[in-house]
Amino acid sequence: MTYRFESLKVLVVEDNQPMLELTKSILQTFGVGTIFTATDGEQGFTIFCQSNPDMVIADWMMQPCDGISLTRRIRNDKRSPNPYVPVILMTGFSEKRRVIAARDAGVTEFLVKPFNARDLYRRIVQVIEKPRQFVRSEDFFGPDRRRKRTTAYTGPMRRKDDDRPAMPAPVTPEDIAFLEDGD
Amino acid sequence: MPVDIQHYNQSPRRNAEFIKPPNMIKAKVGTGGLSDAILDRAQKLLENTTVDFAPLAEIYLASMMKGIRRAQKPEPDDDNEFLIAGVLYPCAQLKANGGMFHYPLVTRIADRFVQFLEVVDQIDIDALEIAEAFHTTIKAVITAKIKGDGGKHGNELVEALNDACMRYFEKNKHNLRQPEEAEF
Repeated sequence: MTYRFESLKVLVVEDNQPMLELTKSILQTFGVGTIFTATDGEQGFTIFCQSNPDMVIADWMMQPCDGISLTRRIRNDKRSPNPYVPVILMTGFSEKRRVIAARDAGVTEFLVKPFNARDLYRRIVQVIEKPRQFVRSEDFFGPDRRRKRTTAYTGPMRRKDDDRPAMPAPVTPEDIAFLEDGD
Repeated sequence: MPVDIQHYNQSPRRNAEFIKPPNMIKAKVGTGGLSDAILDRAQKLLENTTVDFAPLAEIYLASMMKGIRRAQKPEPDDDNEFLIAGVLYPCAQLKANGGMFHYPLVTRIADRFVQFLEVVDQIDIDALEIAEAFHTTIKAVITAKIKGDGGKHGNELVEALNDACMRYFEKNKHNLRQPEEAEF
């Protein structure tokens, strides 16, 4: 058995035309059936609303509307047909504070450029096999920003709410590593 | 105010709602992953791209130089973040795209400069001199069409630029971001 990507709809938003074509070609090689493209966040949001793709792959740095703004609109705009859609953000930035900014905007996965075909594939597998629950609080809506529990307790769980996720914890280096590595 | 009164007066702990959306993608694609043959084919496609990176690099280099010039003679309303972004963003594009189009040395050099700017607090005259050195070096790599890692010469270029950055850090300790800002 292998993945059947032919029914998958992916939106790629990238202002660099050669990069857009390259990403599209890789996805076609993966067997993705429908690929929509846009060259900035504004156009990307319009196409997103029209086509309701299963996944969005967007570049960070675009003019006039960048990948972070696009993600915020996907998550919070009333016109968004699916605020839960996985967003993979491509960028040349890999610094912690940039990664955290992306995470806080509601990005699902972070893909540092330059990347190879398997890097992109791993991010796609991550959103398929390990989808993240969403969190809605007063000031945030997006994928749960925690990647793993930090408690060292390994004994039996007896409280009624033990199976409920804990309150969001402060960012740790592990969070960032997970967000970057997608493991 | 005594600690116990502060505790009494604290605002209610905010509530967060946790939502588990249905995994529609998984339902569509099934299980099993993609074969190595498909992934290898995709990688080959990437490696064999015939896109000429030079015209794109020229656009980013011009934009970077525009940012350098602006930072050398800022407008009264320009804040530091704006000035840094004007130099940093085009360089981040060079870092991101060089390696995608057969210029890993451009990525390596540009990465050093991106990391440099992430550490510097204010973009001063010395930092702008370093920016110009990086710009000149990247332009030379593009002009000479140095694809691949540049070998020994590539390493020497990166080391020379690294040394310049280290000399800057040594001389301008007052102008570096505080660790808590850089590390959160």
